[in-house]
Amino acid sequence: MISRRHFLSIAAPALALSGYPVHGFTKEPIEGRIIVIMLQGGMDGLLAIPPIGDDNLFKQRKALVASNPLKLNPLFGIHPNFRNFSKMLKSNEASIVHATSFPYTGRSHFEGQNVSQSGSKLPFSTNTGWLGRAMEFAKITGKALSLDAPLLIRGAPEFDNFYPANIEKTRSPQAALLDLIKETHDGDVMAAIDKLSRASMSGPSRLRARDPLSLATKAGESMRELNGPRVAVLTIPEFDDHSSIGSTTGHHPELFTLLDNVFYQLKIALKEQWDNTIVLTTTEFGRTVQENGSAGTDHGYGSVGLLAGGLINTSSVVANWPGLSTKDLYEKRDLFATIDYRSVCSACIEAAFGLDHDFIIDKVFEDKKITRIYEHIFG
Amino acid sequence: MKIINAIRGAINLREMYKNKNQWARKIGFGFGPEDEIPTNIDVWNTKQINDEFSLIGLNKIGLWPDEYNFSIKQRFERLHKFKTIKEKVEEESIGRQEKNARLRISKNENAVHMYDTYKLWNSAIYGNDMFKQRLLHFWTNHFTVGGSNNFRNYVIGDLIYNVIYKNLNGSFDDLLYLVTTHPGMLDYLDNTHSSGENSKFAKYLRKRGQTAGLNDNLARELLELHTVSPARKYSETDIRNTAKVLAGWGLIVSDFVQEFNEKKEYREISRNITLEKFVLAPYLKNKAEPGKKVIMGKSFPAGPKALRKLTNMLAQDDFTAQHLSKKLAIHFIGENASKGEIKVIYDTWKESNGDLAEVHRATLNVARTTKTRKFLWPSTWMFQSIRVSGARFIKESKSDGGFGSIKDDGRPDFEPLGILQEIGHNFWASRQPDGYSEKKLDWVSTEHFDRRIRIASRIFRAEPSRSGEEIADLLDFSDRTKLAISKGRNSEEKFIIALCSSDLMEI
Repeated sequence: MISRRHFLSIAAPALALSGYPVHGFTKEPIEGRIIVIMLQGGMDGLLAIPPIGDDNLFKQRKALVASNPLKLNPLFGIHPNFRNFSKMLKSNEASIVHATSFPYTGRSHFEGQNVSQSGSKLPFSTNTGWLGRAMEFAKITGKALSLDAPLLIRGAPEFDNFYPANIEKTRSPQAALLDLIKETHDGDVMAAIDKLSRASMSGPSRLRARDPLSLATKAGESMRELNGPRVAVLTIPEFDDHSSIGSTTGHHPELFTLLDNVFYQLKIALKEQWDNTIVLTTTEFGRTVQENGSAGTDHGYGSVGLLAGGLINTSSVVANWPGLSTKDLYEKRDLFATIDYRSVCSACIEAAFGLDHDFIIDKVFEDKKITRIYEHIFG
Repeated sequence: MKIINAIRGAINLREMYKNKNQWARKIGFGFGPEDEIPTNIDVWNTKQINDEFSLIGLNKIGLWPDEYNFSIKQRFERLHKFKTIKEKVEEESIGRQEKNARLRISKNENAVHMYDTYKLWNSAIYGNDMFKQRLLHFWTNHFTVGGSNNFRNYVIGDLIYNVIYKNLNGSFDDLLYLVTTHPGMLDYLDNTHSSGENSKFAKYLRKRGQTAGLNDNLARELLELHTVSPARKYSETDIRNTAKVLAGWGLIVSDFVQEFNEKKEYREISRNITLEKFVLAPYLKNKAEPGKKVIMGKSFPAGPKALRKLTNMLAQDDFTAQHLSKKLAIHFIGENASKGEIKVIYDTWKESNGDLAEVHRATLNVARTTKTRKFLWPSTWMFQSIRVSGARFIKESKSDGGFGSIKDDGRPDFEPLGILQEIGHNFWASRQPDGYSEKKLDWVSTEHFDRRIRIASRIFRAEPSRSGEEIADLLDFSDRTKLAISKGRNSEEKFIIALCSSDLMEI
């Protein structure tokens, strides 16, 4: 039996035996890339990565456990819809961090999303994102694949967004016109128009579709270019399933399939740059351990983070498992988060941008208490 | 009528919007070439709050046709009709393509949200109740109901026009209760899926091995977003007990008709509730949680009357007054509205007990004297651009550049809805319950500017009667912007620069 509150880094035998080459991380500066997939609405971590070795899971949840999870190790399984991600686990290019969350327990989407993007402990306390600040210190560029520029990436010296338009009888604005419009603006607006002006000179984009898979392709393609962006942010919305979320099949499992395909698509599109990449998910909070009255789960606390990319050497499920009996839950209802997800973010920044852990927690997160778990994910 | 000191005080301050065209943009959509410019702005302001206005017609000819004003009952009937046809088509032994084609036709024939969208555009571009239209957008956003499913697309327009618009001059107590019990809200925030743990309904389903019980989604947002906000520091138990008061309100309306007609268990449990009865009072006793509930220290009895008692308590809470005064100030005055400006609205809210006519009047008066500028929402900017430039909304021929068109059979086409989606500001879109952001930075990105410029070029093709230079003179644009406009290489470029300048985007 696995003892509670003992820091575990469990590599499943089935995974550890696979013979893929190990992509080494050296202390040489590498051109690492970070892709963040924001799972908006609060992913149910217990449905995605069920702790099948914890008997209390089945006591707490009657319906919302997939009938045929793939067993990763004695404690954890993975929802069968993560087909590609499971293969990545087998080939030592993916990892899972469980019972984790940003330091926010309020169960509000809007505060939670703000915290998960700003990296601050207090919601709405800063105008920049943790990724944007890391980019500022590492002096690198990035792109958001959305109509808006998300808070997560703000603060970076160079960032941009991409989301193809679909308005009949219009074409991309010309640089000369943009420069005149720019003259009437200041600050952030001026900067945005300036970027649009430069983008207009790089020719029209072939890709017009804007579903997450197409955007993942676009992200991967531009990031593998020589001077392409080194950061991308994608969003998959609609994880806020309060009712009929589905166990083996249903809405949450469909989103798992989509997320799984996004991971796969990124790998395909990045080609050889996959080796220098870390993809990580974020979500504002997990969901209640027990089902609510309508076969769904309400807003909770601890959830799971999925990571993939060539920067990982050995697949593992990193967790300090808090247990699922009612007395072990946060306020007797939610999975406890025993790992601050900012530790995961810090490790990814360290691996991809080569910044030092102490520097990251001091300058990016302004919280010197964040533990270094780099070795557990990238060691 | 009660005269409030704080407002009288505000009027004596220096008027910031001496240009009437600019003032009409601060609180409305600006004056178009065909609008009558008021000689006395005070009279016009009073009218903006008190007068009853009629909506203008589809093609600007006559009034908005009554057959396109749908009651909630008509909306349910149309949805029912569509669903019935859908079932029939699905059973037919024809190919998928043929089925989809027939479903599309039926969906169009029974659609109501196209008309609702047209009404939104038309009222903003031509309506003479422009402050009310802006307030309508504000409150529609405050009480966000996201679309995406068929059912909600049918009822969002009812929430906008039959509930919010009709109560803009009423009390916040009434508005809050009516919105909370609206079928669109009950469905969007999952209350339809909620039932009391100890309700007959939940016990019945559990006996059959199905899950049933509370869902706290609406309860949480009712407190967090619609009323007191987290600043009130309520507990998780308060949320839970709010959910218990809410349990019983709403049935799973997405499949409303089928459930009533086909599923025996629903018939047994909810007895013979007719469509009409359900629409009027969507409370099902058998789904409600028995017993009293305590929320923020106050006790609420079992039964349907508890909800009104609860929404009244929340509406009257001091934190609600603070939260909403700030939101109104940010919307009309700007993100940087001062504490003093917010306080004028707040004091009015408190003195009038949330009388919205008074609160809105206070907001308008504070806006008159503010120096703070507001970065306009994309749709507000677009409607202002169309209106002020005198461009046309409805296309008159296939080749012209208007936006919408009315087909031969009288049905509107899809584009006005599609454009709202493109600019990221569609009240019928699937989105988060906190609604669209009021922060400038959330609307600043290269893609957002790409959309603005594209929309401006479309407005130019919709035959505006005012040029870029004329708009700049009319609205007292800065010299910097006038210079940029003069450098445009042709009338289209000059027009686009005027529309996409900071002078038009911010007011």
